[in-house]
Amino acid sequence: MGTTAVAIFIISGVGAFLATLLVFAERVITNYGDIEIDINSGEKKFTVKGGGSLLETLNAQKIFIPSACGGRGTCAYCKVRVTEGAGSLLPTEEPYMNAQERAEGIRLSCQVKVRNALKIQIPESLFAIKEYVCVCEKITDYTYDMKQFNLKLVDPPTIKYTPGQYIQFLAPAYEGSPEEVYRAYSISSDPADKSTIELIVRRVPDGICTTYLFDHLKEGDRVKINGPYGQFLLRDTSVPIIFIAGGSGVAPIKCMLHEMKNAGNTRKAIFFFGVRTTKDLFLIDEMKNFEKELAHFTFVPAVSQPEEGSNWQGVTGRVTNVAEDYLKKQSDAKEYEGYLCGSPGMIDSSIRVLTACGIPEEKIYYDKFS
Amino acid sequence: MKKSPQQEKLEALLKSSKFSMCGFMGDDKRNLWEVIDTDATAIEKLGKKQEEIAARMQHLTDLAASGLGDWVQVGKNLQVSADDNRGMIPCPWPHHKRCLKRITTARHSATGRTIRWSDLNIHLIKEHGFFEGRGSPFRIEPQELVKIIFCE
Amino acid sequence: MTLSSHMIHLMVILFASIFTDNILLARFLGMCSFLAVSRQVKTAVGLGLAVVFVMTCTVALDWLAYRYILQPYQIEYFRFILFIVIIAAFVQFIEMVIERYSPVLYQNLGIFLPLITVNCAILGASLFMVIREYTLLEGIFFGLGSGIGWMLAIVAMAGIREKLTHARIPKGLQGPGITLIIAGLMALAFIGFTGVLSGG
Repeated sequence: MGTTAVAIFIISGVGAFLATLLVFAERVITNYGDIEIDINSGEKKFTVKGGGSLLETLNAQKIFIPSACGGRGTCAYCKVRVTEGAGSLLPTEEPYMNAQERAEGIRLSCQVKVRNALKIQIPESLFAIKEYVCVCEKITDYTYDMKQFNLKLVDPPTIKYTPGQYIQFLAPAYEGSPEEVYRAYSISSDPADKSTIELIVRRVPDGICTTYLFDHLKEGDRVKINGPYGQFLLRDTSVPIIFIAGGSGVAPIKCMLHEMKNAGNTRKAIFFFGVRTTKDLFLIDEMKNFEKELAHFTFVPAVSQPEEGSNWQGVTGRVTNVAEDYLKKQSDAKEYEGYLCGSPGMIDSSIRVLTACGIPEEKIYYDKFS
Repeated sequence: MKKSPQQEKLEALLKSSKFSMCGFMGDDKRNLWEVIDTDATAIEKLGKKQEEIAARMQHLTDLAASGLGDWVQVGKNLQVSADDNRGMIPCPWPHHKRCLKRITTARHSATGRTIRWSDLNIHLIKEHGFFEGRGSPFRIEPQELVKIIFCE
Repeated sequence: MTLSSHMIHLMVILFASIFTDNILLARFLGMCSFLAVSRQVKTAVGLGLAVVFVMTCTVALDWLAYRYILQPYQIEYFRFILFIVIIAAFVQFIEMVIERYSPVLYQNLGIFLPLITVNCAILGASLFMVIREYTLLEGIFFGLGSGIGWMLAIVAMAGIREKLTHARIPKGLQGPGITLIIAGLMALAFIGFTGVLSGG
């Protein structure tokens, strides 16, 4: 009896001792203490608790690094330049880095752990990115697969952005999609109204976010967005503009047109809007209004394959060909600035057309859907 | 049998719905290798190789892309069109491959049957022999695919 | 025993545990991870190194626990529980240390550490050490040798399985089936070493 008790006591004692040792070790070893993160050589500094990933640590400090995969190290959007303190590249990051990025110290911020003082470099524009809580104010049907969403900002109540930029929309988990996801959409609203964000979205077949927007989101629902992002901006010059867009690519251009109207801009501008059938046409009235309100603006919708019996009176043909025919007739074609938004295929062929007409490539700005 | 950590991570990513609705596995209860093996056997029976199928799909997508969204006639019975959507979708396997969210639709004019695939589908079939799990919106049935894209 | 003959004795234990008495192919311990993680040479090497390290250390720790805790109180029959607890705690501890101080090593090796806790070869090595009444030093060499032997076997298997992806294997035998057959053939080859060296 006595020996059994001793035996049990000893074994339990050893177990308890090891458990205490582990708890103690965890306290000491996994405690990284307070760590200083320095952004852009001293521009911003803050002290954080170590141990988390750089991505979530920056997020907690309200610095939003784009990320789509939720920190799994798969989307490679969350690249950040770490100049000091990150250690060597991890095997989980290797496949996503080319030689130049390796040399520059680019890292996936979701994989880098904050374990000692870090010095990082991020683009200035990321500081302006915030998260906004909004209420979906109005949903407008444009075509069978195109809708407009008006989001009223609640917290913070206003947003500052440059026309041409986009936001990321957070689609919460819903039936059939158990995880929340972020997807990017261009802003199409009038920038004079700083409290509303308007998005024009085309339904993606079985797309996670667009299915949420089209089938689940209702007027009055609360949603979250963050932004603004993007470098597709109207340049401040006085040369004539040629806009080319297809489908939902109209969104950032609509935003730019609002801006031109607000500023009383009298630049010559022409907008070629390409769709496949007359059923895909939308926003025609708004564009006609811009023609009236802007001094030298022309809107040319082009339908590439009008249905039989649709009685389409306007221009027929592919938008790139229509734009080419127009430019060929212009004596000052070389002077134009090109602004393109649409599918990569459309953008590539538009660039070919514009450069063939003498517009230098550096004067062609575009927002590829990527 | 225990799985290696890499395989577990891959299967978790394939099931995750961060990239593709319902995940790449859909509601398929089989494990990844079973899905791949079953489809590999199916295409073998049809006398095709996965590279051959992927090359044909890529060819059709390229032809369709030149139409900028319009229907493009291929041969006598086949029409294809490609549709771009905003954004990129990454391949869940651990290498840096991102595809455009371009969806190609192929229509067999005699039967009216259509089949669609994304650029990622082509990559998954070519590199990983993966046609996606049953119940995934982008699951491709090999028999159906071969019947349509190799029609005369 | 002179120093050199002592050295030779340790070397005999080392090589015996690697080849003639290979813990995997002669004793069939640690089969589960052997079958599961032998798809690629790279991961097999990672797991193999982790096993070598953990086995060497835990044999030493278990020897100390056996000698100074179990024997004095004559409760040797508790060795199964105690050894497993020590192995589990040690692996946890090592995982923490590696994660903290060497993220690269952690990524390469750390993910295999939890797998090892339940690897029966690790416990097996400690139990053999008791049965054969090794001294501490002998035990360490035995643990090291057994670990290297296990790694050798899994890396060889992974090499064969990598080549096997190009082979036409009958459908019913694909996966675990062919792997077990190969394991059997490899074991036969290793049994050929029997009697060449005797570590026990």
